[in-house]
Amino acid sequence: MMELIRLTKAYKGVPAVRDVFLIVREDEYLTLLGPSGSGKTTLLRLLSGLEKPDAGQIHLNGEDVTYRPPHLRGLGIVQQNYALFPHMSVEDNVAFGLRYRLIDPVTDEGEVKRRVAETLELVGLTGFEARMVGQISGGQKQRVSLARTLVTRPKICLLDEPLGALDANLRERMTVELRKIRETLGVTFLHVTGNETEALAMGDRMVVLDKGSIVQADRPDVIFSMPSDVRVARFVNTYNVLEGAVRDGEFQSAGQAMTLPEYARGSEAGFYAIRQDAVEINAAGTVPGPGRTGLQATYIASEFLGSRFAYIFRMPNGGVFEVERHLSHSDPVTYKGGEACSLSWNLSDALVFDPSGAALETTVFKGAA
Amino acid sequence: MDGAAVDTRLASAAPSRDGSGFFRRHGHLLLLAPGVIWMVLFLIVPLAMMVYVSFWTQTTFAIKPDLTLKSWATFFASETYFGALLRTLRIWLTVLLLTFLFGYPTALYIGQFVRNKTVQTILLVACVIPFWTSFLIRVLAWRPMLGKEGAINIVLQGLGIIDHPIEVLLFTELSVIIGMVQIYVVFMVGPVAFMLARIDDSLFEAARDLGASPMTIFRKITFPLSLPGVVVGAIFVSVMVLGEFATASALSGRKVNLLGNIIVTQVGSLKWAFAAVIGVVLTVVMATVITALLRVVNLRREL
Amino acid sequence: MNQNAAIRTLLALYTALFLAFLYGPFVVMAIISFQQGPEGGPQFPIIEWSTFWYKHVLGFAPPSRVAPLPIGEALTRSLTLAFATMVVSTVLGTLTAQAFRSQFKGSGFVFYLVVLGMMVPGVLLGLGMALVADQFGIDRNWWSTAFVLHVVYTYPFAFLVMLAIFNRFDKSIEEAAWTLGVPPGRTFRKVTFPMIFPGVLSAMLFAFTLSYDEFPRTLFTGGREVTMPIAIYGTFAVEIHPNLFAFGVLTTLFSFALLTIYGVLMSMSVRRARLRATGLQEDVA
Repeated sequence: MMELIRLTKAYKGVPAVRDVFLIVREDEYLTLLGPSGSGKTTLLRLLSGLEKPDAGQIHLNGEDVTYRPPHLRGLGIVQQNYALFPHMSVEDNVAFGLRYRLIDPVTDEGEVKRRVAETLELVGLTGFEARMVGQISGGQKQRVSLARTLVTRPKICLLDEPLGALDANLRERMTVELRKIRETLGVTFLHVTGNETEALAMGDRMVVLDKGSIVQADRPDVIFSMPSDVRVARFVNTYNVLEGAVRDGEFQSAGQAMTLPEYARGSEAGFYAIRQDAVEINAAGTVPGPGRTGLQATYIASEFLGSRFAYIFRMPNGGVFEVERHLSHSDPVTYKGGEACSLSWNLSDALVFDPSGAALETTVFKGAA
Repeated sequence: MDGAAVDTRLASAAPSRDGSGFFRRHGHLLLLAPGVIWMVLFLIVPLAMMVYVSFWTQTTFAIKPDLTLKSWATFFASETYFGALLRTLRIWLTVLLLTFLFGYPTALYIGQFVRNKTVQTILLVACVIPFWTSFLIRVLAWRPMLGKEGAINIVLQGLGIIDHPIEVLLFTELSVIIGMVQIYVVFMVGPVAFMLARIDDSLFEAARDLGASPMTIFRKITFPLSLPGVVVGAIFVSVMVLGEFATASALSGRKVNLLGNIIVTQVGSLKWAFAAVIGVVLTVVMATVITALLRVVNLRREL
Repeated sequence: MNQNAAIRTLLALYTALFLAFLYGPFVVMAIISFQQGPEGGPQFPIIEWSTFWYKHVLGFAPPSRVAPLPIGEALTRSLTLAFATMVVSTVLGTLTAQAFRSQFKGSGFVFYLVVLGMMVPGVLLGLGMALVADQFGIDRNWWSTAFVLHVVYTYPFAFLVMLAIFNRFDKSIEEAAWTLGVPPGRTFRKVTFPMIFPGVLSAMLFAFTLSYDEFPRTLFTGGREVTMPIAIYGTFAVEIHPNLFAFGVLTTLFSFALLTIYGVLMSMSVRRARLRATGLQEDVA
């Protein structure tokens, strides 16, 4: 178990990580989502010991390791650019940690060979032992990098955007394989990514980071359906976020008024969010039914995304509003560009945030409902 | 969260920071120390000593640490010595200009027109090969080149271009300049060619697509981008030419005396204080030239 | 495009002339080295072709009025000095460049302090060192006062070469090794050093060549036992003879031979690495 306590780090006065509290548990797949510049790589470097924090502590299994150098931490890191040793074969790359580490090196070459072969098999690279790293593909390099770390049995394996440099096909395959490998070994993975789909799909638990601070940490499905902050709603990229204010008991945005869900009535609200797949499209002028609310918008274009369709609308104030339709639920409908439509949704699907961005509802409330 | 409780935990973490932190945070000092100490002892101390000694009193065969300006007065009063300063400056400027004029076209060809890396390397190596011969022997080799019965006169007479051998070629200021240009021009070619080779080809293509003429491309792209190379080359050439004495003594028949030659003669006759004065003058000239050149280009950034 | 081709041809011609200018004296030197001896002087015309001066350099010529070059001792001294200078300046250069990989206060000052070593003319440094030695009663020797100045001169070159190498070095590779549990010292030996070795080699080559040919610094600080360049400089004062040119031809050929061996070894090791890799690849397939 690893605890981060009030971890803070600034570069030349610019804060990169601010007051981070986080507990990384045993045997879990934790994803860390953040836009570029959110401090996620810095956080990873602090954990691995490649950077020293300005303040705060890191505890690993109850021991303070805040200022312990990387080679004494027993953590592994899989770097974004793989960082393989170019002058060695695949086998020597993977065996490197076992042979030369300070603590508990493996001196028996037969044992090294056995463990390397075992790990290469796990990542599906059996038979590649003798290749030089210049002669394997990007996907294979990534597996070597993973094997090189896993063979040392790290307490926690830190992965820095491991899928970032792979093409879409390989990405999908690795998504499945990474989870499988992790479950086989029972090692905690801390996977840093800027891609919301990856973070949601892979993590047992997920942390959302913004401007160096943790915004929300929870199960991916909770984060997806109940973002605690409007920034999270934006990062997961499946919400239409409207900015506005409450006037006369209604949420005013884009020159239109929307009914607030019951729990939000009477409170100050600054943002209103609605999931893209919870919206219904009707002919212009249709009045939303009871328990529903909506707005008027102009259809611009649609995009075919394989299993679903995305319809893009423009609101009167120029903002974009997206609606998603899964083809399994309904057949695609074609609209004319410039056609006015009426969009509506269930009040219970709407999320409301106060002007500072914090969600108005509490998880307890929603959970009870 | 209870802030006070966390603060006490932070305080208890302090020892571990000092324990392993010192080397990691100050390790670079240990790495730097040998080099810096070496340079201070064997570079700064000798130079400081030179400045100090230039104010000492010179007796016939020794120097005494009684401070005086006498050596300095002698330097500026003497036609010979002050003339040597002017001559040094004149020859330096001439050689600098000539190395640029002769070197730039070659660098342009190697750096920009030869786009095959192997050929580029071969040409650059061809420029460097003469350096495998001892510097002094290379200087001396100009004597049978330039002499009255030297190779140049033989060739020119053989071609019928001249009737009588040209005598001003050897043991004049001209021969010193020719020798220096040949020896130092490569230091101009190298950095310029390096800079030119670094320019992205697509830049020229884009310029050509926009209809820029070769002359415009040269004026607007090639030359400005090669300028740091020119400055680095100029620094190399200046440093070497200003401190020169061997070429002058080998090719001028001791008729052309640069500041360097005077230092050698003065040391030879144990006139330490006076040699130190000339040394300081030379240092000042050098520092001025290099500072001026470094204003144009940041040496550290170009590496 | 046509205009471009014309410029290219013109520049190629110019470059050929330029190379002729660079090599001219060398060719003449090679011709004169076959001058008749011992009466023939270092000038045209060639009285009679002979290899007398080569024999003279190598010590096989009968004694004559021309004193033989002190090849035995002077050359040994020069090579020893160059070797020691090479080792010390490469180590110093690598250490300093390693320190420059992380940001630190005063890096600008240290940078220019080191680079100053190659900027200060040799004659000034030689003079300064001679003054220090004179005043503090230190004996001047090629292995002491001259040696430290050689390092002052070559260390900046080694430093700059290593700095350029480290600038292109991917730090994340070292970090990967650390996080695998390998301590920094061992990481340097097993990962960093093998990767920067070609750079170290060229820094060494630089330092060796510069030191071997150095003379203004050695002139005032080398003491009574001369190095090769000082021996040659000594002949300036008296008459010069074609034996210097024969010596020049011989040393050039020698360094050529060394360079060729170095090149062959390098390309062989590269090919072997490639062969090994592809050979094994076939095994796998």
